[in-house]
Amino acid sequence: MQKSLIKIFILIVLFNFFFSTGNTRVIYAYVNGLVCDFCARSLEKTFEKEESVKSITIDLQLKVLTIVLKEDKILEDSQIIKLVNDAGYDVKEIKYEK
Amino acid sequence: MNIPIKIFFSMLLFLFTEVTARPVSYPGGWTVMLMNNNYKNSIHTHYSLSTNTSVGYKLEYIRENEYSLNALQINRLLKRWNEPNSQANLYIKAAIGNANSHKEKFNKKSSLAGFFGFSADWENQRYFISYDNRYNEAGDIDSFYQQSLRFGIAPYIGDYGDLHSWLMVKLEHIPEAHQNFSLTPHVRIFKGFHLLEFGANLKGKAMLNYIFRY
Repeated sequence: MQKSLIKIFILIVLFNFFFSTGNTRVIYAYVNGLVCDFCARSLEKTFEKEESVKSITIDLQLKVLTIVLKEDKILEDSQIIKLVNDAGYDVKEIKYEK
Repeated sequence: MNIPIKIFFSMLLFLFTEVTARPVSYPGGWTVMLMNNNYKNSIHTHYSLSTNTSVGYKLEYIRENEYSLNALQINRLLKRWNEPNSQANLYIKAAIGNANSHKEKFNKKSSLAGFFGFSADWENQRYFISYDNRYNEAGDIDSFYQQSLRFGIAPYIGDYGDLHSWLMVKLEHIPEAHQNFSLTPHVRIFKGFHLLEFGANLKGKAMLNYIFRY
């Protein structure tokens, strides 16, 4: 009985280690109107103020904003849409890294 | 230039729209614009309160009529159309301030002055078209109307952070000016916070613009 409890405890610790600790999410926001360097800079300036965002990268060819969140932080779709709108652009689609 | 050609260009100018550079930046963004062409020299500094509104100061020297304008300027984005591969904008701008003549015949007089106009642009990563107009009023010193149309093509398409280049041509119409039509081929390059435009009109008069955003 005691051995089983120890095994369960170890499994819980391992589960938390692999699935909770250091959990960073990557979000892809496809943006309408993203046609120039200046547009990209506007998005960068807006998202870098957001506390939950670790970093962003922008691909002008694909018109996609890649958002890397800080560990264990979340950013709802509605927040992403608002931030993109605040920068002056529109969200076409949001996808999450699988 | 004969009258039918003038009418054609005037109609063309009214059909399209131009922006020298976007008059509204991102919220909290500062912009400094230095513009020099055959007609005037200007500096315009503005601060964007939001993505829709910027306020700033403009100092302009109209060389042909030898007077300077000091004015507070407000720019407003009326509408933006964001499409998957393009963007279009419609702006209005207005300024109010003081004009100071440097001409002897005006005995260096001052006058309340200002202007009002609108600008619009459409661009994708390859093509650019814009239009800008403005009516200027400076009491007894001067009043004039100006409009300009600009086309651009990017010889290559860069990604974010690259050096971007545009080959452009600007057609400017100022009915009251000595040379009322001016066609100016020029190059626009920008990278990061800096944008530079240089060229010369068909009479050889230089155009040099620099814009810094932060």
